[in-house]
Amino acid sequence: MSGGIALRGVGRRYGLGGPWVLRGVDLDVPTCSLLRVEGANGTGKSTLLRLLAGIDAPSSGTITGRPRTAYVPERFPPALPFSTTGYLSMIGRVHGLGRAEAGRAAADWLDRFGAAAHARTPLAELSKGTSQKVAVVQALLAAPELLVLDEAWTGLDHAARDVLDQAVRERVAAGGAVVFVDHDPRRLAGEAAAVYRVAGDGRVTAAEPGPLGGVGTADAADTADSPRVRIVAQGPPGATLPRDLPDGSAAPAYEPERGGTVGLTVSAARSDAVLSALLAARPAWHIREVTPVRTGAAPGPNEQPRPDSPNQRPDRT
Amino acid sequence: MTALFRYQAALLVRSRRLLPPLIVYALFMGIGVQAGQPILDSFAWAGGALLFVAAWLVRVCVTNEPPAARHVAAAATSPARVHLASVLTALTCSAVLGAIGTAFVALITDPRSSDRQVHVPVGAATLAGLVTALACALLGTAVGALCNRPLLRGTARAMLSTIVAAMLVLVADGSPAHAAVSGLVTGSTRGHVTVPLLPLAATAALATAATAIACALASRRP
Repeated sequence: MSGGIALRGVGRRYGLGGPWVLRGVDLDVPTCSLLRVEGANGTGKSTLLRLLAGIDAPSSGTITGRPRTAYVPERFPPALPFSTTGYLSMIGRVHGLGRAEAGRAAADWLDRFGAAAHARTPLAELSKGTSQKVAVVQALLAAPELLVLDEAWTGLDHAARDVLDQAVRERVAAGGAVVFVDHDPRRLAGEAAAVYRVAGDGRVTAAEPGPLGGVGTADAADTADSPRVRIVAQGPPGATLPRDLPDGSAAPAYEPERGGTVGLTVSAARSDAVLSALLAARPAWHIREVTPVRTGAAPGPNEQPRPDSPNQRPDRT
Repeated sequence: MTALFRYQAALLVRSRRLLPPLIVYALFMGIGVQAGQPILDSFAWAGGALLFVAAWLVRVCVTNEPPAARHVAAAATSPARVHLASVLTALTCSAVLGAIGTAFVALITDPRSSDRQVHVPVGAATLAGLVTALACALLGTAVGALCNRPLLRGTARAMLSTIVAAMLVLVADGSPAHAAVSGLVTGSTRGHVTVPLLPLAATAALATAATAIACALASRRP
């Protein structure tokens, strides 16, 4: 598995006889993949990320493969005696870049994140958000094969979050692997190849492949009789529905309407996933209305309404 | 590794925490080394001072980065390499201080034995002083590596054990630093110079072993 990394039976505890923060973790991070790690506070998500980043060694089990790695900590302290560019070119060289290459990459990425004006600012004088941008830029400088993001979006402004989303997609498209934790469930929703959940007892299980991955736990509750919800959303001009909306046997009913408005009737179990997908789409969709539909009155999966259906009046928006 | 070392060295040079050990070393030298004193006794004093300062510099270097910044560098390389780079930075700084101190002693002291009866060759004495300084820097580095993160955490515990361990290796029989320093002191009484090459080799081995232990634990006790 060149470029990838694999955990087999990995456990981690701090101190002899300490409680196991993680135990029996089997996890593969193949190339070209985006992995999300979930779990409640204090369950060992950060420990798992540090193991993947090679910052921490497992107490039991093995980790094989060590791609060129970059790590973004949750909070990046500005207590370093360098300017932004000074730090980035120095850490760029630690990442294996040449001097000129590191300087160029630092300038490019700072520009992309809208922090070019802070290139010469001492790190100690940066705002919290800008120093988080520096933390993200250092990780992207050398196009790592494995990018580990521990709530890297926290503290970034909206534009920078979008740039980071895009940078993550670029890394995956370029054959890298990205593992991330983020408190926002909509972060890169539907794009993660796998979602791993860290439980309170330190076990790590594969959750559904993304909230919109198609085959999800929602399917179990998704029958023709289940309660349904009607969502009315308005997209940007000319936009099409996000491609990764759930489909399958219990597909939501889509009703393209005038003025870019679309009505969707979906099972209640899936409504959250559909809403996430619409909100996460770039550019985002605007949700105009979410209303429960009485069972029986709603169109079933086998009788999907047509846009020209006489009993479906277009939404006046 | 070169990039890591350069990064750690830049951190140390720009760090305000470099100043206290430098000032303490300067004070030690100002108090213990006076113009016209016997050269070998002064080298012995300088070596003892450097041992403490070397251990202190390791502490400064291995705790110089906030953990998040250290993690960033460790992910790009490995925790062991990051730790090795900080210990090497501290040792380099100690060696430079030792060289400056040796030059200072050679310039202002009197090249004669303790009782001022026997002339001591300045060249051989300076070489012995330099080798002693290096041996003390190496053993101080070993003490610093074993008495700080990742083996001992907590400022009070680390500092107390550093001071106690540095004193012990300076006075205990069988310690190579003690052998080097006391070799200079006894040499000074008779006006006879011995270059402590064996203690230097022993301290180099000890420093290597101590650093290897600390680096191996760097990823296990982050």
